[in-house]
Order: sequence, then C-alpha cells, then structure tokens
Amino acid sequence: MKRVALIVLLTLGPTSLLAQDRSIPTKLAGPTRASLQRLIDSAGVAGLPVDPLYSKAQEGVFRGADDARVLAAVQRLARDLGDARATLGDSASAEEITAGANALRAGVATIDLSRLRETRAKGRHADQRLTVALVVLADLATRGVPPSLAAASVTELVARNVPDGALISFRQTVERDLLDGRSPASALDARTRAFIDDAERRRP
Amino acid sequence: MSEPDNPRWLDQVSEELREEVPVRAVWRTRLLAEIASAPRPGADDPDVRFEDSSDTIESKDAVELSRGSVWARRIVLHPFAGLAAALAFAAIGAGAMYVMMARGGADATGAKNAGLASSTTDPGGASIPAADVTADQSVVRFELSAPSATRVALVGSFNRWNPTATPLARDPATGKWTVSLRLPAGRHVYAFVVDGDVTADPAAPRAADADFGSANSVVLVSGRSS
Repeated sequence: MKRVALIVLLTLGPTSLLAQDRSIPTKLAGPTRASLQRLIDSAGVAGLPVDPLYSKAQEGVFRGADDARVLAAVQRLARDLGDARATLGDSASAEEITAGANALRAGVATIDLSRLRETRAKGRHADQRLTVALVVLADLATRGVPPSLAAASVTELVARNVPDGALISFRQTVERDLLDGRSPASALDARTRAFIDDAERRRP
Repeated sequence: MSEPDNPRWLDQVSEELREEVPVRAVWRTRLLAEIASAPRPGADDPDVRFEDSSDTIESKDAVELSRGSVWARRIVLHPFAGLAAALAFAAIGAGAMYVMMARGGADATGAKNAGLASSTTDPGGASIPAADVTADQSVVRFELSAPSATRVALVGSFNRWNPTATPLARDPATGKWTVSLRLPAGRHVYAFVVDGDVTADPAAPRAADADFGSANSVVLVSGRSS
C-alpha cells in the first residue's frame, strides 16, 4: 500500500507543487488579513486576477513592510488591475491584465494602452496576446523612457507586425544603449527605426 | 435480529435456493428447438466459419475478426488488478508528460539567443523573458553573476516570496549562481536575495512595482493562458 501511495504522490507531485499559493500571510494582524481577504474576494467577483494580489501581500511581508503599507499596496494594485481590465477589454487574459496594470503603474496612459490593443487587433498577429508588448512597455517606462514615447514606439512596432521575440530583442538593445549612457529618447528613436527597417526588409 | 446468527436458518435458506426450479418438459423442448433453429453468428459471412466441435475460429481475413464484428470475449479483472492497471497507465502518462516538459525546458534553457525563458546576466546572451513553448509549464533557468556573494536565493510570486525556498547554487569556475525551476505559464515577478539584500535581475525586464523598496523583475512563460 505504501508503494501505491508513493506512485500516486510521484504522479501528482510535479503539478500540485507549482500551484499558486493563495493565502494571506499569517504574520499580518487579524484585521488586516480580514480587510485583504474582503478586497481580494471583491476583485475575484469582479473578474480580476487575484494571484497578483496574494503575491503582493506576500511580498510585503517578505520585505518587512507594516500592515498599513501592505494593505495600501494591495489596494493600489487592485485598482490598477481594474483600470487595465477596463482598458484592455473583457477578453483580456489574466496575464494581459496584470501586465497592463503594471504598464499603467509605470506611467503609461490608458489611452495609449487602448491604442496598443486596437493596433494589435488590426494586425497580422491579432490572435496573439499582448502580454509581451505590455511587459516591454512597462520595462522601458521604468527605465526612464518617457511613457508616451515608449508607448508610441511599441505601438509602432506592433503595427508593423513585429513578432514578440523581436520586441524582446528591442527591449534589450534599448537597455544596452541606456547602460552605455545614451539618452532614453535617442536610444528609443534609433532602435525603433532600426527594428521597423528590419521588419520592412523581412516583409514577404 | 437473532435470525442471521442462526446457522440452521441459513442452511435452510441455502438449500431452498439451490433446489432446481421445475420447468415443464414441453417448455424445455420448445426452448431448445428455438435455439437450434436460430441463425448462427456470422453465418452469412463466407469468410468466417464456426466449428461445432471447438471454440476455434477460422478466417481468411484476420483483420475482419480484429474489428470485433463476430468475436466477443468477456474479460474478468480482479479489482486490485484493475487498480494496478489504472495506476500503471497514470504513471506512463505522467512519465510521458514529464519527458515532454523536460525537452521543452531543455530547449528553453539552451536557446538564450532566441529570447526564450532563461534568466542570465551573461552580456553575450540575449536574456529572458517569453518562453516560446506551448506547454503549460516550462523549466526556467535563473542565473546571476555575483562572484563575491556567499549566499543567493530567489524569491517571487511562485514561491510565496520565501527566501529559504529556492537557493541558487554557485559554480566555482564561473562565479555564477544558478537555479532551474519549472514554472507554470504566465507572468511571474521575482527578485534575487544576495547576502540578505533584495535586488532585481539585471538582465530581465523590470516590473513597475516598487511598493516596498526596489523594483522586481518579470519572467514570462508562455502557454495557453498567456
């Protein structure tokens, strides 16, 4: 019987091991935990992804933040997730909503997110998710590139049907230019043009 | 409720049940005649012939038989044998899935320049994020160059931000700290803990989420949901 139990554990182990832990850290005070649970439950009822909210609370405890700060961070994230979902539409995946919320947090305007979504919907890769483009956009804005410029560049690349893999390379080259001391606007402009030229050359 | 405990009562019931049910001889004769006059199974198929003397089946076309058109056999399986067979099939399925995932992960970690899921600070390798695999899980290799560090760990949304859950191992030859994790499809936020200090992955996209100090990094594992 022990052998049978072992086989079952080995069979189920790899998948169950990776399940997202949806628990609020017990280090937080009871009232804080109750407030967080209500907030997360409301977000879930509203159709927002809740895993990032649990993760935010867990991160806050790991980093030694006090209860008020953890609660404020989770509230802010829930608000951003709601705004991102409203902007990206009901069909957006949990990852798109989370990445969209992160882009909003980085300073990207909701109108720019809407434009990016519409551009992708009209393009050759309309069936693909927008997650990578949103992650690249948030990263550029976080690194000091003016959010409106970053949004314009990423939207332009998406409009030229630049694939996700090339968007990742685009982010890396801009990052390298920034590390080399180039100004964000100049680095972005030069790299955007280079990637558009490349996309045009590869056009069938 | 004393009756079931009485063995005599039980014997009487058993004997009664074992007694042959009387059937009229006329009915028996008629039933046997009906059976004898019924057409034999597969009688109108010239390729199949049943021998009266035995249970063997002769056929010119074995494929026809294998389709089960005329052949039926009841297989009785012991319950434990059934359970064992089910477990064996589950184990085979899980093994096959593991091999497929392992192959996907090996590709992901080996193809840095294709922009697959591999976190590295190697300036020559294109780092991170979107794993271009179709499986729901992918093995992601995290790498940090920190030759003077004595302890490095990985924290993130996938391990409850637990600094003891995922330590990195140091390669003495290169001074690089590495760990490979199987992550489900999706967007994961993470950071390194280097000798107690939290730091973002210098080679990965940043998340704009510095609620508690420094920003984190992002890794994307593509799949059906992303």
